[in-house]
Amino acid sequence: MKTCMSTLMLMAVLSFTAIAAHADEVVLIVNPANPLTEMTLKDVKNIYLGKSKFFPGGGKVIPADQPEKSLVRKIFYDVMIDKTPSKLKAYWSKRIFTGKGTPPIVKKDDAAMLAWVAEQPLALGYVYRKSVNDSVKVLNLK
Amino acid sequence: MNKFGRFCMATLCVAAPLTANAGEIGEIQWHGFLTGAYMATSGAGEDVHYAGDVSDNGTTKDTRLGLTVTTQVDEKWRFAAQMKAKGVDDFQMEMDWAYATYDYSDGFSVNVGEIKYPVGLYNEYIEVGYTYPWIRAPETFYNSGTFGPNMTRISYSGIGLVFTSVGDESETEFNLFGGLLDVPDGHVNQLIGAKLGFNWADMLRLQLTATTGLMEIEPSSPRDAMNGERHTAYSASIGLDMESFVFSTEIGTASMGVDAMETTTGYAMMGYRFGDFMPHVTYGHWDVKGGWGQKDITLGLRTELTSNTALKIDVKQVKPGDKYNNDVPGNGYGLFNEKPTEDKVLVYGVALELVF
Repeated sequence: MKTCMSTLMLMAVLSFTAIAAHADEVVLIVNPANPLTEMTLKDVKNIYLGKSKFFPGGGKVIPADQPEKSLVRKIFYDVMIDKTPSKLKAYWSKRIFTGKGTPPIVKKDDAAMLAWVAEQPLALGYVYRKSVNDSVKVLNLK
Repeated sequence: MNKFGRFCMATLCVAAPLTANAGEIGEIQWHGFLTGAYMATSGAGEDVHYAGDVSDNGTTKDTRLGLTVTTQVDEKWRFAAQMKAKGVDDFQMEMDWAYATYDYSDGFSVNVGEIKYPVGLYNEYIEVGYTYPWIRAPETFYNSGTFGPNMTRISYSGIGLVFTSVGDESETEFNLFGGLLDVPDGHVNQLIGAKLGFNWADMLRLQLTATTGLMEIEPSSPRDAMNGERHTAYSASIGLDMESFVFSTEIGTASMGVDAMETTTGYAMMGYRFGDFMPHVTYGHWDVKGGWGQKDITLGLRTELTSNTALKIDVKQVKPGDKYNNDVPGNGYGLFNEKPTEDKVLVYGVALELVF
C-alpha cells in the first residue's frame, strides 16, 4: 500500500513538474488579420470560460481548445484558467444546460489548431511555441 | 411540445444547414443528461403520494433524459433549446425551453423565447441532477405543484434583459424579465421579474429575486378563488462552494391574494467533500398561513464515479403541518396528496446522474 501511495505521489510530482517546466512554451495565437497584439490573463480566462464572447477590442471571438488529455491543454488550463477538469465539467454543465454557453470547440493537435486559426478571423487558440509558423500571430500576455 | 417549441425546432432545423460553414458560426452542438432514479416512501400509507408520484410502492418516474442543442447563428445571435423525456410523462419527448439570445456586448444581452425561470440557485438547471447534491432539489423551495411553495416554475414565455459585469474573479448579473408563465391550472399573465446575482470565483453565489404577475386560474381548479389575484414572490439565496465545504440556503415568500396561501419557505444545506464522496444534510421548512406546510430533514451522499457521472443516495424525513387544508381534496398535507398514516414519513431514493 505504501509503495503504491509513493508511486502515485511521485507521478503527481512528476506531472506537476512537467507542466511547470513547459508553462512558457505554450502561446496564444490569433489570425494575422486580428489587430490585437496582447491580452490580459483575465481576458483569456473570461473568454475560455464563456464569460466574454468578444475580444477586448470588441470583435466576436471563437476560442478553441486542444483535446482533453493533451499535455498542451493541461499546461494551458493550469497556467491560464486555474480549474480542475471535474470543476470545469460542473461549470460547463451549468452553462450548457441553461443555454448560456458551450465550451470551446476542440482542434485535435497543434497542426489542426494552426490551420484553423490561419483561416478563421475570429479565432483564438493556443499551441506550443515551437509549433508556431507565419500563418498565425502570437499574442503577448499582459 | 407547444407551438413555440415546434416553431423554434423547425426554425433550427431549417436554419442550421443554411448557416453551417467551415467556421464555427452555424455549427450545432448537442449535449445531454440522463437520470436513472428510484424513490419510495415509508409510512405514507396506501394510495398516499408524496410530491408527485412517490409512494410506499416506489417509483422510477423521476428517471429522465434530456438533450440540449445550441448554435451560434451569427456573430450576435445564439439559439438554444432543450428537449426532455421524463418517466412521469411516460417518456414523451417535450420541449423544456427554447430561446434566442442577442449578445449586444459582453455587458448586455437579450433573451427571447421560452426561457428558464431565473429564480433560485438551482432552478435554471433543475432537470440536470448531476449539477447539484440531492436527488431532488429541496422541495420546500423548488416544488412547482399548484399547492406547493409557489416560488419557482420551469420556464416563462417572454423576454429577458441581462446586464453583466465581469471583474477579475467576480461576475455580477442583473436580469430584468417579463412575459407569460404557465401553471398547471392556468397562467400568470403580465409577469415581471428581476434577479440580481453575484458570483465570486464560483465559490460564493448570492442572489435576490422579485416577481409579480396576475393569475388567470381555470374555473375548474380548486384554486379558482385566486383568479385575477396578483402572485408576488421574493427570494434570497446564498451558495458557498469551497474546495471541501459546501453550503447553500434559500428563503422565499409568496402571496397569491388568498390569506391562507401566504407562504414563507426555505432550506439550508451543508456538505463536506471527502475526495469523491460528499455527505450532506438539509433542513427544509415550508410554512403556509393555512397550516399545511411541512418540515423535512434530508441526509444524502453524492459520489463522483467519473468526471461526468455521479451516484446519489438520499433519505428524507418529512413532517407535514399540523393543520390540513380540508377544503381542497387531494392537497393540504404538506406535499402529500392525502393524510399520511404516520406523523413522520421517510422518503428515500437512489439515483445515477450522467451528463454527456
